[in-house]
Amino acid sequence: MLEQLLIFTRGGLILWTYRELGNALKGSPVDALIRSCLLEERSAETSFSYEAPAGGGSYTLKWAFHNDLGLVFVAVYQRILHLLYVDDLLAAVRREFSQIYDPKRTAYDEFDEIFRQLQKEAEARAEEMRKSKQFNRAPPVAGKKQRPGQRAGSQGNGKQKGGKVGSGKDDADGESGKGRGLSNGSSNGQENGIKEPSRAPSVLVKGKENGAPEVGAFDVNKLQKLRPKGGKKTDAGGGGGKASKAEQKKMVKKNRVWDDSPPESRLDFTDPADEKGDSIVDVVATDQGESMMDKEEIVSSESESEEDEGVESAKPGTKKKGWFSSMFQSIAGNAVLEKSDLTPALKALKDRLMTKNVAEEIAEKLCESVAASLEGKKLGSFTRVSSTVQTAMEEALLRILTPKRSIDILRDVHAAKEQGKPYVVVFVGVNGVGKSTNLAKVAYWLLQHNISVMMAACDTFRSGAVEQLRTHARRLQIPIFEKGYEKDPAIVAREAIQDASRHSSDVVLVDTAGRMQDNEPLMRALSKLINLNNPDLVLFVGEALVGNDAVDQLSKFNQKLADLSTVPNARLIDGILLTKFDTIDDKVGAALSMVYISGAPVMFVGCGQSYTDLKKLNVKSIVKTLLK
Amino acid sequence: MQDMEQWMHKIEQWMHNIEQWVRQQPVEQFYAALAVLIVTFAFFAVLRLLKPAKSNTIVLAGLSGSGKTVLFYQLRDGSSQQGTITSMEPNEGTFMLHSEMEKKGKLKPINLVDVPGHSRLRPKLDEFLPHAAGLIFVVDALDFLPNCRAAAEYLYDILTKASIVKRKVPILILCNKTDKVTAHSKEFIRKQLEKEIDKLRTSRNALSTADIANEHTLGVPGEPFAFSQCRNKVTITDASGLTGEVSQVEQFIREQVKP
Repeated sequence: MLEQLLIFTRGGLILWTYRELGNALKGSPVDALIRSCLLEERSAETSFSYEAPAGGGSYTLKWAFHNDLGLVFVAVYQRILHLLYVDDLLAAVRREFSQIYDPKRTAYDEFDEIFRQLQKEAEARAEEMRKSKQFNRAPPVAGKKQRPGQRAGSQGNGKQKGGKVGSGKDDADGESGKGRGLSNGSSNGQENGIKEPSRAPSVLVKGKENGAPEVGAFDVNKLQKLRPKGGKKTDAGGGGGKASKAEQKKMVKKNRVWDDSPPESRLDFTDPADEKGDSIVDVVATDQGESMMDKEEIVSSESESEEDEGVESAKPGTKKKGWFSSMFQSIAGNAVLEKSDLTPALKALKDRLMTKNVAEEIAEKLCESVAASLEGKKLGSFTRVSSTVQTAMEEALLRILTPKRSIDILRDVHAAKEQGKPYVVVFVGVNGVGKSTNLAKVAYWLLQHNISVMMAACDTFRSGAVEQLRTHARRLQIPIFEKGYEKDPAIVAREAIQDASRHSSDVVLVDTAGRMQDNEPLMRALSKLINLNNPDLVLFVGEALVGNDAVDQLSKFNQKLADLSTVPNARLIDGILLTKFDTIDDKVGAALSMVYISGAPVMFVGCGQSYTDLKKLNVKSIVKTLLK
Repeated sequence: MQDMEQWMHKIEQWMHNIEQWVRQQPVEQFYAALAVLIVTFAFFAVLRLLKPAKSNTIVLAGLSGSGKTVLFYQLRDGSSQQGTITSMEPNEGTFMLHSEMEKKGKLKPINLVDVPGHSRLRPKLDEFLPHAAGLIFVVDALDFLPNCRAAAEYLYDILTKASIVKRKVPILILCNKTDKVTAHSKEFIRKQLEKEIDKLRTSRNALSTADIANEHTLGVPGEPFAFSQCRNKVTITDASGLTGEVSQVEQFIREQVKP
């Protein structure tokens, strides 16, 4: 049974709640939904599951938007139940409520009656579907294999929520097949919403034994028909993007000079008498200039109109309706955004994001989320679809990249200092991303703020790792805790922290060995290190050159840390350090992929190979670069 | 060279013709034209001076869950309706305060803006600050200690923004949810906030020459921070959004938005 159904505005006011059941919900599932799903640009997902803390119930939540009026409809029910009628019900509620909605009113008591009726109808329909499903167990198995192939094509269609019978027919053929294959509504719940208008055609399909494969073939053809349309857009989008990039290249390739220190002569750090590493060493200390963390970035405030012109030239007219009527509508401002209007603009945006090295999966999810938030909205006057989509995407990107918690490390260090414990930072990542180098940069920056740092060499595997850190420590004149090679990193880390508190160091930077995310024993060792020492900050070091693998790396790291944790609140990745940022010109998409998949903010950006090359992420400039 | 001379000659001739023509016009016309020009300029200058009229925008800011949306609807309608949930977008409205609906006399309507407190939506605050005549920073007095640091950081960011400092926007720190028994007193909250901001001052000022996010420094160096050191007026009061005890808030709003 439905636990609660809530209707609220995007500004936060609750307009109506389902009052039948007296028991209150445990925890605050709707708040959690907003914070971890809708504001994280995951609004295109089908459902959200919530565990109330301290052993409360576990719920599944589904939602629907009415973008034009700015309303959100959320249904909450127990996770163990698999209610099939929820999507259907949400669509019906949305339809009915938008007819009685008035921005000035805040109480809608008469809706109780209407809702009860809708609920009965929805339950009745679900019962019927269930009964008809039971007659039709055999064909779906054959049809199921073809499903993954058309998922991309029909997923767009599947998003059309209830009531659109005309276009619903095509979708229904694909979707009802899927619906039959999967029993509960928790993963592909969208299809259930189409069940109502699709009842008629599905009866037809049901009759044939081989109905499903033919339906599959039909949809594949439809997909191929869609493809060339999309292809045209990609070429145009790609051409436009390439032209602007080529211009950029001519301007950007000049000598890399950051600050006005005398670097050239000091680039060669090899000491003549340094065979054993004990003799005279150049002490670098703080005379290499200011770390770029403390320098203000001068963001060029070019006008937005440049971007718009680029965008428009890259997208040669979306000819859905006649040119004249669309012009007229954009002036009069009455056009309602449909999925079909949004698809070409979104496809172009997605391709543009992918040329900027955003992982394909992330770009796809983002575009769906933006589509979900724009569907049904009225176009303002004198605006085109492409500019609306562009603005929405820009806002979404800004929202994702803005950190959701404070990234002020200095403040955290001071807080830990007051409590008398050292602040422990662990650097994790795959092989070769730059952990040891950036560890030294972070140490340099902290030293400049008069914080005493200690390094812990817990990379006991790679040859030369300990010596590398030892050299950095000597140059920066900070203590290093090392135990040589072939020791257990978790134990070394623990002893390092104890040593740090003895010598009253404020910060301990722990270097770990690089490891692939699929390597089970190594991930277990890492998890042991983190569980044993409970660091204050787990920093994932990722390189900006990584492409689609970023998604895999981060999600597997997080998953392993969560699975192998010994405490209920597992320590996950708290922050990201993005390295090798100077090697990518404007393909900054890796930052977006990593932040989206993990939810952790980017705390540092490594942009070179000397001590001063560490800076903060400038969110606005990244968003601008991504959408250029 | 000859062309150049010819051009020069022609130009001289034209100038001469113009002079003659000018001399021929009656003098009054000139004076009339001049007068019209001067009047137009004066008109625009006066308009420019009058333009920065006191705006009537009051901004509600604070951490997520502190009660801004409840307060917004309380001020507008006199009741918080059926409850609220985390806001995803700002609530904006221009209206007369609910308690003043009965009062006679011409009172200026207030443009109240409730900015979401969720950290991902912080940049929205910057859109409304340049027009703000006053800012109400809402603090949850019930659940204060766990959020003390976050609230202090947010408040510090606001207090050091250029648009607040330059225009000396008055700030009211509102301790909300005082209808509950375990809510902290406003004195306690004030002291805690001042202590936290003091600590933030030292750690943020340590960021050498270029202050990255904050454009101005707070308080007097060497002394512990107190709200009285701010250049703009900072007051603190308590209220309860749910039960409707918002008289002091309304007083503050009325002071800022004079009819």
